[in-house]
Amino acid sequence: MSTTRWNPAHHLVSPDGKWYWDGVAQEWKAVATPAAPAKAASTPNPAAAQPSRGLSSFTGKIRSDDLAYGQTVLVWARWILIGTGLLLSFWGPKDLLTLQVQLAAIIALAFGNFYLHVQLLRGHPALDNVVYAASLADICVVTALVLVQTGYPSPVFIFYFAAIVGISVAFPTQMTAGYTLLVVGVYGIICLATASVDDHPAIFTRLLTIAAVAVCGNLFARHEAQRRADAIRIHGELLDEVEQHPSTEPRTQPAAPAS
Amino acid sequence: MPAVREVRTAAQADQEDVFYGQTVIMWARWSVIVAGIVLVLWTSTNVSLLTQTMPFFLVLMAVNFFLHGRYVMGSPLNRIVVIVASVIDLVLITAIVVLWPGSHGLHNQFYVLYFPVVFAFALVFTRRIEAAYTVLAIVLYLGACVFTATVPFDFGSDDKVLVMRLIVIAAMGFLGNYYFRIQRDRLARASRGDNSTVAGMRGGVAR
Repeated sequence: MSTTRWNPAHHLVSPDGKWYWDGVAQEWKAVATPAAPAKAASTPNPAAAQPSRGLSSFTGKIRSDDLAYGQTVLVWARWILIGTGLLLSFWGPKDLLTLQVQLAAIIALAFGNFYLHVQLLRGHPALDNVVYAASLADICVVTALVLVQTGYPSPVFIFYFAAIVGISVAFPTQMTAGYTLLVVGVYGIICLATASVDDHPAIFTRLLTIAAVAVCGNLFARHEAQRRADAIRIHGELLDEVEQHPSTEPRTQPAAPAS
Repeated sequence: MPAVREVRTAAQADQEDVFYGQTVIMWARWSVIVAGIVLVLWTSTNVSLLTQTMPFFLVLMAVNFFLHGRYVMGSPLNRIVVIVASVIDLVLITAIVVLWPGSHGLHNQFYVLYFPVVFAFALVFTRRIEAAYTVLAIVLYLGACVFTATVPFDFGSDDKVLVMRLIVIAAMGFLGNYYFRIQRDRLARASRGDNSTVAGMRGGVAR
């Protein structure tokens, strides 16, 4: 995991102790747990002193927290792929080999996704590398189905979109770019090898839209990370003001989750 | 009484959703515009065809320049305008599917343009609006296929392909809005300073 946690030993701290210098982002950021030393000293629970329990868990760039939340999207995207794949496999199967490959791949994917879903339901999201490997398996399964159905003419390539949607919102930008390039590269080569020249505009459109979905999802995820960081910063400033003026009633109305 | 800075009101949250979401929709629209222009230039076989189809994309490009410029200047358009522009996107894509020279309806390969547009919209608006938009996209594509008489409705392979495409359009909307609601919940809790859930999840990840 690539989490960057607040650690006083690793950062330059402002004189008042409320800000630290983030060398990566080149900006001052609020210390995750304001007045932590005093509270930690008076708190017998050692877990409360752990940096990972601080407000910083909401902030920053895309990282494992985001992967944990994005996993639910990935899991549901995979269930859609599995459910649709099963439905369509039994709808007018053409030959035995194709059906065997389809069912074997889909059932293997279903077992893996069941494991990941159970982990989520238990509140224990899978390790990052497991999630990365599962998404790679999604791409491999869709690619196998495309290859079995003679490449470019295969209609199942659209399941790349479902896989890329989950990847784009759950993974960091670099990982998203890597997976997207992998899909575009592999599928592009398959198409160029199996399509006629007249089909090249359609191939271009398919590859462009796959990339567009990845860009949109990851852009949104980055915006959301920034918004959370801003919300926490404002929340910290509000707490500071309330501490300085204890008689003041905060006029806050936190936003309700969207329905 | 000193002025206390508001954390984040519900109305502000809605406005922010549209503000931040607009950029996602605009980038999705840019992808449609780029795809359309490249396809027009690539597939045109005579001057007449090119001069008839290109202005459509140039107008769309001008509109998106305007929207993007407003966004960059910090004065994005309101929710209604964003919805109307997104509906126009669907109409444009449906027109491509129906009218594109060569292949029409189900046999037209440019239906994939629906995917980024529906996905981007689902990342911005609440569930009811998103559901309506996704249903509209499905109805428009289904209508385009029926209008061009390219779907036999005999439960054969063409019907199967159509169902597959409609399911993926629906999945784009569902997955996008599902993630949108997850993010709204996270943001609301961040605004309240509630960190228990993520801390718990992080504990799970660390195992």
